[in-house]
Amino acid sequence: MFISNPFAELSASVSPAVMQAYVVVMAILVAAGTLFDIIHKRSARYFFDNWRESKTKARQEIGAGRMVTIALQTAVVDVMASGEFCNAQRRIAHLLGMYGFLIYVVTTVIMVFGYPTPATPAPSALTILWYIGALMICVGGYWFWFFIRVDVAAEGNSPFRFMRADLFVVMLVLSATFGLVWAGLQAAGASGSATVFLALYLLATTVLFASIPWSKFSHMFFKPAAALQKRVAEADGTRSNLPAPADAPAKFGSPAKHAHHY
Amino acid sequence: MRRRKTVYVDSDILVVGGGMGGCGATYESRYWGRDLKIVCVEKANIERSGAVAQGLYAINCYMGMHWNENQPEDHVRYARTDLMGLVREDLGYDIARHVDSTVHKFEEWGLPIMRDPVTGRYQREGKWQIMIHGESYKPIVAEAARKAATEIYNRIMVTHLLMDKQRKRVAGAVGFNVRTGDFHIFRAKAVIVAAGGASHIFKPRSVGEGMGRTWYAPWSSASAYALPILIGAKMTQMENRIVLTRFKDGYGPVGAYFLHLKTYTQNAYGEEYEKRWYDDTKALVGDYIDQHPVPTCLRNHAILKEVAAGRGPIRMVTKEAFQDPHKETVGWENFLGMTIGQAVVWASQNIDPKHVNPELTTSEPYVMGSHATCSGAWASGPEDYAPAEYQWGYNRMMTVEGLFGAGDAIGGTAHKFSSGSFTEGRIAAKAAVKYVSEKGKERPEISDGEIEDLKKAVYRPLEHYQIYRNEIVAGIVSPHYILPIHALQRLEKIMDEYVGGITVNYMTNEPLLTRGLELLGMLKEDVANLGAEDLHQLQRAWELQHRLLASECVTQHTLFRKETRWPGYYYRGDYPKLDDKDWHCFTLSRYDRDSGKWEMEKAPVYHIVN
Amino acid sequence: MPTFVYMTRCDGCGHCVDICPSDIMHIDKTYRRALNIEPNMCWECYSCVKACPQFAIDCRGYADFAPLGHSVRVRREEEKGTISWKIKFRDGREKDFVSPIRTTPWGSIPSPAELAPPTPEMLKSQQLAHEPEALKISALPALKPGQLKQGLV
Repeated sequence: MFISNPFAELSASVSPAVMQAYVVVMAILVAAGTLFDIIHKRSARYFFDNWRESKTKARQEIGAGRMVTIALQTAVVDVMASGEFCNAQRRIAHLLGMYGFLIYVVTTVIMVFGYPTPATPAPSALTILWYIGALMICVGGYWFWFFIRVDVAAEGNSPFRFMRADLFVVMLVLSATFGLVWAGLQAAGASGSATVFLALYLLATTVLFASIPWSKFSHMFFKPAAALQKRVAEADGTRSNLPAPADAPAKFGSPAKHAHHY
Repeated sequence: MRRRKTVYVDSDILVVGGGMGGCGATYESRYWGRDLKIVCVEKANIERSGAVAQGLYAINCYMGMHWNENQPEDHVRYARTDLMGLVREDLGYDIARHVDSTVHKFEEWGLPIMRDPVTGRYQREGKWQIMIHGESYKPIVAEAARKAATEIYNRIMVTHLLMDKQRKRVAGAVGFNVRTGDFHIFRAKAVIVAAGGASHIFKPRSVGEGMGRTWYAPWSSASAYALPILIGAKMTQMENRIVLTRFKDGYGPVGAYFLHLKTYTQNAYGEEYEKRWYDDTKALVGDYIDQHPVPTCLRNHAILKEVAAGRGPIRMVTKEAFQDPHKETVGWENFLGMTIGQAVVWASQNIDPKHVNPELTTSEPYVMGSHATCSGAWASGPEDYAPAEYQWGYNRMMTVEGLFGAGDAIGGTAHKFSSGSFTEGRIAAKAAVKYVSEKGKERPEISDGEIEDLKKAVYRPLEHYQIYRNEIVAGIVSPHYILPIHALQRLEKIMDEYVGGITVNYMTNEPLLTRGLELLGMLKEDVANLGAEDLHQLQRAWELQHRLLASECVTQHTLFRKETRWPGYYYRGDYPKLDDKDWHCFTLSRYDRDSGKWEMEKAPVYHIVN
Repeated sequence: MPTFVYMTRCDGCGHCVDICPSDIMHIDKTYRRALNIEPNMCWECYSCVKACPQFAIDCRGYADFAPLGHSVRVRREEEKGTISWKIKFRDGREKDFVSPIRTTPWGSIPSPAELAPPTPEMLKSQQLAHEPEALKISALPALKPGQLKQGLV
């Protein structure tokens, strides 16, 4: 099944134009939702006000060269390598989810627009990537959901308890899961159940992209900005009012671990 | 009602509370009981729980016997003087003779204790105090307890102790997990109560957001008292609440300022004022005012009189001392090490003690057993020398068989502080191991019916809230339930106005106390209708019930003692003087949970004579 | 409000939830980040502030008596055994302090079970673990039974 292009197979019953239109609508929803979120919450305004205020407090000027380095560090360490996470497991789960999502979305778009029908067969590397992306989302997402999620790990809640903060991650894993199931059933020729999962796949995907103003989706836009600001605060000497690291030499290797009993 | 999982935990020794006393008890239990199952249960996380969660900058109870600095007898005399003659000298001596070994172990474990650069001895802050860099005091002590315990259960709020079927001896405890909501039944052969004393039973000076900045930790919810009271253990000296003179609003400590930095107090006009009130105080308490050092309560008394005379605020004169950069550093680090909130207050109000003499205030009253006060359970004394009237069993055993205590839980032993509380935990633990190996070998039987009843009672506030929440549109006002914060504020108001809090300048009398008891009785009925929205609120609901029972006990004791023993802590307007003829004694109470009645009695005071 | 959490700094790891002695640090249901749910039960003990690996928790003095504009921030470095503070006054003055927090490696305290087991006679004595060696005097002091008497002194 990994070499079959599920969208080309679907073109037998749904025209490629409809699929392409759906992708375009989703892209518009993401853009509009994010803009609405930023404007409605005035988060961009806060960000720029805060940026200006911290600049007036700077103890040392940051040159253009230094600024480029900081931006690069932010891009590579914080954005591309999820460097902000203090918990290694969470970092790995996040990287799986993030890169899985990117691969999943990009391959979907290429397949839907570039190889829409069986007459235009997609290279098998591309279709395999779509499945790998979806699987990465599932591995990272379910691992996070059932084991690492703070609601479970620190709050002691049941892993089946759902709250608003879960909207994004649940819709993401459901979209990937239903997508995989649908593609598998379709490839196996089980057209009846494939249709059911196609509907579920579309539902989860639509909610994922349409719920931006209510979900955590937009964190992918403001998190990098915040990471940049954090690095700038270190570089300009204000350090968010924090004391400098102590200059005592490192003596001990093993920080205390907190015990959990729930 | 939602089904709650029940978890059974069997142990030989159960330690309730993982603060200084509980960590000491856990550690020592393992030393003496190598094969025993030792379980410590804590409502927060022992890494940062109890009164030392924030750290400490001094250890206030250290003899220095090997340097011949002090002997245990000296400490007993000091505590006796400070508490106006009434302390359990057998218990106090016992802590003092062991405390040095505790402190020496702390240093070995990694606690940075400052040294005098000249003598090489521990840096003294005062006669009894040594200075430490104690930011990680609690994590270090918790590490020792973790290594020693069979199991440590964090985030479990213990609500009740259990008696065996015959109601002869203690049999364990029950509580609920604040995270998962599971019901926990701890069955044990001996129980050591090392829970916390009581903040928030009297209305604090700050009642808004700042109500959390009480002198004693807001999580000290009187469980040290309510747990033993409920199963009939006798309490002593519960009227002996403490009022602290502290820096205004942040309640930052003054000990290092007085003793080490040599700062002193004066009134708003820069005058010395204590001498002015000497005759007044002498008329109330007689020779006690001539003791050295002057008892803490009497120094409070002078402040209260001076402020009432219109010459407040009292200020700490810091400007001179703080010109010395070393002293300035000590002054600030002292706060950062144990009362960060005071540094926050000074930073926010631009108070730099180098340039301004900061204001002092007297706090709302607190009930606890480890500072300059000694409320707590009536406990058996050390076997080798305690008088017969103070011995009915094992050392630190309360009047309930198999039930031991340490720290705030044990009455009569003032001035034990952090090191003494840990030491008392060790003493109690050794006795508990002895008890388990000699008398308490069999596991006591627990009645299933009682467990079922307790389980229902424990979760009742959640269920009650869920049902009657349907009555109202939204918000927190309901005719069918009150929330824990509502009940807490009513409790604080009653105690404040009727039992001698800040708004009445610590004054009370029989009619006020009697009325206070009536109002507490109604509150007790109302807490049957507490509503709790979630598990966090359920914890608050049980903390409130512990505070309420302890408050009732405090009020009964205050009514019973017909004198004013500690002017500056509280005043009986109808008996304004100290009365050694009738009241040179301990007050004891016992609560009967079936009838809800209190029995009061006096107990004799034994002093060390030369 | 005693402690509060910076939205952009918190990554929702839960250390503050684990450590708070007052059980007031919890996870927000919309953002899965920490918040102080009960500021009036906060002691400003800084346990959560010190435990936060992201420096996402800060303290704003209690509204009823602390004017705005101050900052008391901390960096606790367990591997170095130090704690560093920066105090900033409302008027901008600053003070810095550094103290040691521990002199031995974390986890290095031996369990009492590693010591030689006590004899039954020792259990009957008044000595506690490590005594009398840890007292650094030859023997544990004791009163004689007759030394405690009723009456005034």
